[in-house]
Amino acid sequence: MKPAPFDYIRPDTVSNVCALLADNFDARIIAGGQTLIPMLAMRLARPTLLIDVARIAELRRIEIDGDHLVIGAATRQAEAEASPDIARYVPLLHAALPWIGHAPTRSRGTVGGSIANADPSAEIPLVAVTLRAEIILREGEDEFIVPAEDFFIGAMVTAAAPEACLTAVRLPVWNGAVGVGFQEISARRSDFAFASAAAQLSLDPEGRISRIVLGVGGVEDRPVAIDLGEVAGEVLDRRRLSDAVASGIEALHAETDLHASAAYRKRAALDLAVKAVVQAHSNASAALETRR
Amino acid sequence: MNAPSKPFRFVSSNRRVREDRRFVAGKGRYVADIVLPDMLHVALVASQYPAARIVSIDSSQALAADGVHAVLTGEDLAAATDPLMNGLDTPRVKRYPLAVDQARYSGEWVAAVVADSRALAEDAAELVRVDYDPVAHVVDVEEAMGSGSPLVHPAHGTNVLLDKTFNWGEVDRHFSEAAHQLDFRVTWGRNSTVPIETFGVVAQWDPWAEMLDVWASIQMPKYSDQIARALRIPLNKVRVHQDVDVGGSYGVKRGIKHTVLAAHLARTLGRPVRLIEDRLENMRAGDAHGPERIFDVSVAYETDGRIRSMKMRATDNVGAYAGRAPFQLGKPIGAIVGPYRIESVRYQARSVMTNKTVQEAVRGFGQSPTNYAIETAVDKVAAALGMDRLEVRRRNFIESDQFPYLIPSGTRYDSGDYHTVARKVVDAIDYKALIEERDRLRGEGLLAGIGIASCLEPSGGNSSFEPLLNEKNETTTWMDSCRINVDGLGYVTATIHTTSAGQGHETLTSTVLGEVLEIDPERIQIVRPDTLSSLPSNSPVGSRMAIMLGGAAFKAAEKLKQQLVAIGAHRLGCEADDARYEAGAVIAPDGKRIEWAELVNIAHRRYHDLPPGMTPGLEATHIMQVPTGGKLPEDGRVQMYPCHSFEFHMLLVAIDPVLGKPEIRRYVIGHDCGTVINPHIVKGMTLGGIAHGLGAALLEEFAYDAEGQLLAQSFMDYLLPSSHEVPHVEIVHHCTPSPFTVFGQKGSGESGYLGAPAAISGAINDAVRHLGIGFHSLPIRISAIGDTVAEASDTLKKD
Repeated sequence: MKPAPFDYIRPDTVSNVCALLADNFDARIIAGGQTLIPMLAMRLARPTLLIDVARIAELRRIEIDGDHLVIGAATRQAEAEASPDIARYVPLLHAALPWIGHAPTRSRGTVGGSIANADPSAEIPLVAVTLRAEIILREGEDEFIVPAEDFFIGAMVTAAAPEACLTAVRLPVWNGAVGVGFQEISARRSDFAFASAAAQLSLDPEGRISRIVLGVGGVEDRPVAIDLGEVAGEVLDRRRLSDAVASGIEALHAETDLHASAAYRKRAALDLAVKAVVQAHSNASAALETRR
Repeated sequence: MNAPSKPFRFVSSNRRVREDRRFVAGKGRYVADIVLPDMLHVALVASQYPAARIVSIDSSQALAADGVHAVLTGEDLAAATDPLMNGLDTPRVKRYPLAVDQARYSGEWVAAVVADSRALAEDAAELVRVDYDPVAHVVDVEEAMGSGSPLVHPAHGTNVLLDKTFNWGEVDRHFSEAAHQLDFRVTWGRNSTVPIETFGVVAQWDPWAEMLDVWASIQMPKYSDQIARALRIPLNKVRVHQDVDVGGSYGVKRGIKHTVLAAHLARTLGRPVRLIEDRLENMRAGDAHGPERIFDVSVAYETDGRIRSMKMRATDNVGAYAGRAPFQLGKPIGAIVGPYRIESVRYQARSVMTNKTVQEAVRGFGQSPTNYAIETAVDKVAAALGMDRLEVRRRNFIESDQFPYLIPSGTRYDSGDYHTVARKVVDAIDYKALIEERDRLRGEGLLAGIGIASCLEPSGGNSSFEPLLNEKNETTTWMDSCRINVDGLGYVTATIHTTSAGQGHETLTSTVLGEVLEIDPERIQIVRPDTLSSLPSNSPVGSRMAIMLGGAAFKAAEKLKQQLVAIGAHRLGCEADDARYEAGAVIAPDGKRIEWAELVNIAHRRYHDLPPGMTPGLEATHIMQVPTGGKLPEDGRVQMYPCHSFEFHMLLVAIDPVLGKPEIRRYVIGHDCGTVINPHIVKGMTLGGIAHGLGAALLEEFAYDAEGQLLAQSFMDYLLPSSHEVPHVEIVHHCTPSPFTVFGQKGSGESGYLGAPAAISGAINDAVRHLGIGFHSLPIRISAIGDTVAEASDTLKKD
């Protein structure tokens, strides 16, 4: 478990990162290294050049930009977890962060690293897809914005070109009486989830659902958003909700592996998705109560 | 036997564990800390096929790579060494550290690359070109026994290593007399102990002294014997340094093949060689997987719940070679009826080879799987009769006045009080309230179940299963030793002749010596001589060291005390029989006394004051035979181990019926290991054992696919319980001293692990029984629970 030989460089700017990526086809970006280092050790990844972006200042930020919150790619997950801005403006991400690995891995792992790695059961990609976030990529001096639902293509496969550097994620900020729910099941706490669900909804002053989004992870080879448009505009009806979630999950394709069957993943996803929406609804109701 | 009537000074008191200081401070000295000048490093080339002939190996590119010193193939190594030892009489199952002619499991080492660093060795290992010719493989144990199966070792003629049936008592009569019988099958999954530290060895050959020096992360009886035999060198040319801390083992740190390989390389290259497994090498080719066993069980029982007789067939998949592992079918014979008065047993033990990683000893040496089968039988009898599972156990328990109790297979249990331990647990957990709580949880829509397991921990590790399963083997001793030296300034030093993997043997030995000599254990130095300076030891296996090392230390201290009394009495002018020893001083009947310092001074300097004929100096040695051991088997019966600790588990589990994840809400274990020498150590063993058992029950499996590939090759897929998964466990103590040991102590190194899998499985089965389903193989994965419950619920709805 020693990595194959590689070179290592720590540029100061994103421009330099992009220049290095353009010139080195076998280069990989490293930030927290919580996934890449084990893959290097097992020689499952064999880049010839590692470009360390962890200390680039412009990649480490959490700031409001209009109706979005922007998180720099190299922001540590632990920093995000402790951020009052994330807790306030993107509560779904705040709810999801403690589920990522363990405290020591979150102190190294980065927000952008988790997105770029695109594990099908990872929490941050699930939140990004659920909230319709935007992934910001830089290639050379050009910047691209890719909707999260188009960014994740398959297990560990994304729309980012080899020469692209993921610089930030832009997450929409909701207003009003907003509630979130996050649910996950795995063999052990903080393992890769067999299924996970993220839900966010807002209520109008009469308690009707004005907006609702739901995402499911760990089932397909990437996180997927489930359309719950038909339960919007009404007060929460558990039966209608279950039917809507069920029809969304029925269409998904799951795989069986050593730890969980395809049928289990879908059944658990349905259960967790309903629980996540109910949790979100209960939180939104509490928020509505406070506003009154 | 020698239990002192005085209250203990140090034994059983909550004294700190002296080893903990260096471990907690990160100052242990492990094999990876042994760095010798000019040391070379080994990486292994592994077969990717479960079965393939090795057509050719081209090392030329690897040899040309940076820093590479050698590439060794199995063929080269086999020419220079003898095969590794088999436990059974199976001479045609030849095993070498590197595959010869044929690879027999995926991951098996085919060649070794030696380089200036481990990284360079790994780089070069990728350049070794092996031309394989894949042949048919078999991974399923029952398929491997079939007539058309591919043979793992064609020269052996069959995949079966052992198929032996024992009849203890009148099984057929009891089955025909009994009112009821039932049959079932349960399967114990292939798991193991997976230590934090993988196996490692450093070997150095001195050509001028013709001496092999070895530092290793080892827990292996007769380790240096096996190295010497394989390397064809005299045993007094193998010096194993035992002052190396071992970072976890519980059975698996055997490392013979690694050591023979590293030693051969050190000898041929003239430089020290280090081989430390990485996790991948450890998991797939450390030859350290545990039992994988199918049990077919029938029990005959009466309407009142009494179990009369049992037929058990255990079929064990030992993987690709025959090491010591088949004996893991033999050791459980010493507690084959558990804590119950089962009158007769038929036991068929089958050990079968497949193209899987080789099996090695794991905590309990086959006892925990067997206990799982026995306890499942008891639960099934209760279910069939509609009786409470606790009550069925009580009706079958051996009574406290029946000890020593001879079980049908020839072992005499030393002592126990099973009813009292069970009652203490029932009181501590409040069984009635626990049932109410279970039913309340069920009312909330959860699946909830109570698990109960009572079982024995045979301890004092003898090796009686060797002659029982292999008639050519006449081993009837499994001794251990201690030597005490009192130096010229009066300080006490004692020896341990083995390495330790966290069992606290230094604390054990110093506590026992302090107790007998009535001096502060903290002042007693404990050292570990190398094997050339050592007395015989069989290493810490089979929960034996409290009994065997503790016993040897006790006996040596008694001898030393006699010398001190003889010296003192002579000086005081009284008979030795009239003098008494007290806290280091010798006192005459008239009250005159000689203190420790003067006794030491006489022994070391004043020969003229010594009793006539007495040798100078102060030293005592004891080599201890295993209590109750010493006889060869007769009629398939033998006394297995001397002592029998008892544990009684009770727990409550709650399961979300859709997600299937068992959550342990309450866990109480009652534990009786006789006199406890150090409470911290016993507690740690028991809690760790339950965590280990939880892993076996729910999480851990070295699973293979049909293509013979190991699916769990890292901690991503081999799931160890973490602190999140292990529940709070309450321990209830009881002490029934053993009549066969010096303080009444019994073993505790396997406690918790021996009953936890049975208890957890029982709880889950209790939770789902109303659905008409059950789980009969371990580990019980949450996905399997979710799927099976969903299927059963669908069926119930349709009905």
